[in-house]
Amino acid sequence: MLKIFLVTLLMLSISAVNSAEVKWHGVLDIRATQANTLESYIDGGYGKFNSHDGANISLAQAGGEFIVEWDTGISAHIVANAYSDKNDSTVGLTEAFLKYRALPNDAGYRWQTKMGIFYPEISLENNAFAWASRNTLNSSAINTWLGEEIRVLGGEVALTRLGKFNDNGFDITVAATAFVNNDPAGALLSWHGWTIGNRQTLWTESKAIPDFRARMPGYDLNEQAEKSDPFLELDDNWGFHLRSKIKVHNKGQITVGYYDNKATPYMVENGQYGWRTRFYHLGASWRLPEAFELTAQYLSGDTLMQSPARVDVVNNDFKSGFVALSKRIKKHRMTIRLEEFSITDNDLTVGDNNNEYGKSATLNYTYRFSKPLFLSVEYNWIDSNRAARMYTNQAIDLTERQWQLAARYFF
Amino acid sequence: MRYLCLKVLTFFCMSYGAFAADITVKVLDKNNKPLADMVVYLESKANISLPLNENIVEVGQFDRSFTPYISVMQLGNKVNFKNKDDITHHIYSPIGENKFSYKISAGQSQIKSDFEQAGEVAMGCNIHDWMSGYLLIVDTPIFGKTDKKGQLNLTVQHSGEYKLVVWHPQLDALDNRFYQQVQLSEDKTITVKLDNKILKISEQKNEEDFDFLSDY
Repeated sequence: MLKIFLVTLLMLSISAVNSAEVKWHGVLDIRATQANTLESYIDGGYGKFNSHDGANISLAQAGGEFIVEWDTGISAHIVANAYSDKNDSTVGLTEAFLKYRALPNDAGYRWQTKMGIFYPEISLENNAFAWASRNTLNSSAINTWLGEEIRVLGGEVALTRLGKFNDNGFDITVAATAFVNNDPAGALLSWHGWTIGNRQTLWTESKAIPDFRARMPGYDLNEQAEKSDPFLELDDNWGFHLRSKIKVHNKGQITVGYYDNKATPYMVENGQYGWRTRFYHLGASWRLPEAFELTAQYLSGDTLMQSPARVDVVNNDFKSGFVALSKRIKKHRMTIRLEEFSITDNDLTVGDNNNEYGKSATLNYTYRFSKPLFLSVEYNWIDSNRAARMYTNQAIDLTERQWQLAARYFF
Repeated sequence: MRYLCLKVLTFFCMSYGAFAADITVKVLDKNNKPLADMVVYLESKANISLPLNENIVEVGQFDRSFTPYISVMQLGNKVNFKNKDDITHHIYSPIGENKFSYKISAGQSQIKSDFEQAGEVAMGCNIHDWMSGYLLIVDTPIFGKTDKKGQLNLTVQHSGEYKLVVWHPQLDALDNRFYQQVQLSEDKTITVKLDNKILKISEQKNEEDFDFLSDY
């Protein structure tokens, strides 16, 4: 499927090279980190940062977007990301899609469709090139999770009513996406809990799962594969995402949506289970007086994974929300973000306690050194209670802290 | 050259017994404050054909906004859409007989000469939704926009009865217009006092101060 899509994309770009506009954008993010944490969730630990304990220097992101735009309103987008730190180096695609934006009709209504591999439009933070977070180095728990496990292969149809043709000061969008290839989403959230980082899972990547008792021989989850691959289709059921956005001109936006991957929870193939994951999300970003900007988002849902005999193995409710306040003074920007998150374990599986509750604070100062170059210092603090850390003899109550220095170059 | 043409034209008109009167139009709101950027035009009530106003109107896209916000041209003339930004714009008008759409690359221009109907052309950019501009197409060569003092000077070559029209896209009136009959036979100052409000003009401003956003 992916190959066919890429070949089509390539053919389109070659055949129409004369009437097309080709654009390159991207971000380079080099960081020095000093963290007081456990082994990172990226490597199968229970550490909540994607950086490692102690002092490290990493290529936190090398992201690129390749865009071909035709005069017809069709555009092709390929987004790739690379990461490199002391434990691993990876490079690959994160998104690849075709988009068609029609012209508005005489009543100011406009259709837009999107097909391919993309993020369901949920994040209010990760709208810089290559899905980089704009005001902070690490994304919120909500968006770190979206970057890790939520990605779809499908199509979205969106209808926007433009206020300027209707004497209204706002635009309204409603959109529906039908998708496949996101059946195991929920596994990593359940097993390592909420995290705060900037790593996005590549389309072809699988991610390590922490050690816990239920994965040992003789326990319920012994059949689970070593790594979880969130972007698989196991049951050929279509999932959906519905969303709506109201954009008030020069003020801000309010978003709401509902995601359901419609996965069959008792399907298992090669150790990858179907996880029926559903959530709703609410968000707003608003411009306040004195150049303050407030962003807040809340996400709440559940996930269910069963044995082939249809007995609940993992049945969790999850919630997370954040409030971020940001202010820019000329070349300086300060951002503070406060978060809360939880997972409630509703099943009786022995050796797999997923209960979690935590809070997090992020403080960021960014100096815009030149038009494309941003220098940032960021402090991350997470205080969490996670029962599963007992399986690795680590503290159930834990406070993790991290300082980050970064140079981010956008082009 | 244009000056010379005008001279010749004036001489020509005068030799046929026509005249040239300078008409000053002042547009004020109900509190007597001057209203700038109001389009004013005069339509002759008599069945006379007036020469085409051949000044080519330029509708610019600069700093991700339509500059000027309001333009006016005569039906039958050309308009030059000029992108003065370093990014592509996709300008369009979705309404009525004068629909159009052009993608204009950075620094490029697009001349359009085939508008077929007089009336209002509401424009947008399909890449930058906050951009908004208006082009009024009038069927008369006598038109202009008021300055900061709410003032506009027009020259008429034929005496007689005219319809004076004041238009603004946000004028809270039927067809966004105010009409008045005027008799023009000599230099004259006409003061138009509008009781109707000018509704809020949406600011053509990119809401984001971050230049590296991924959308579109």
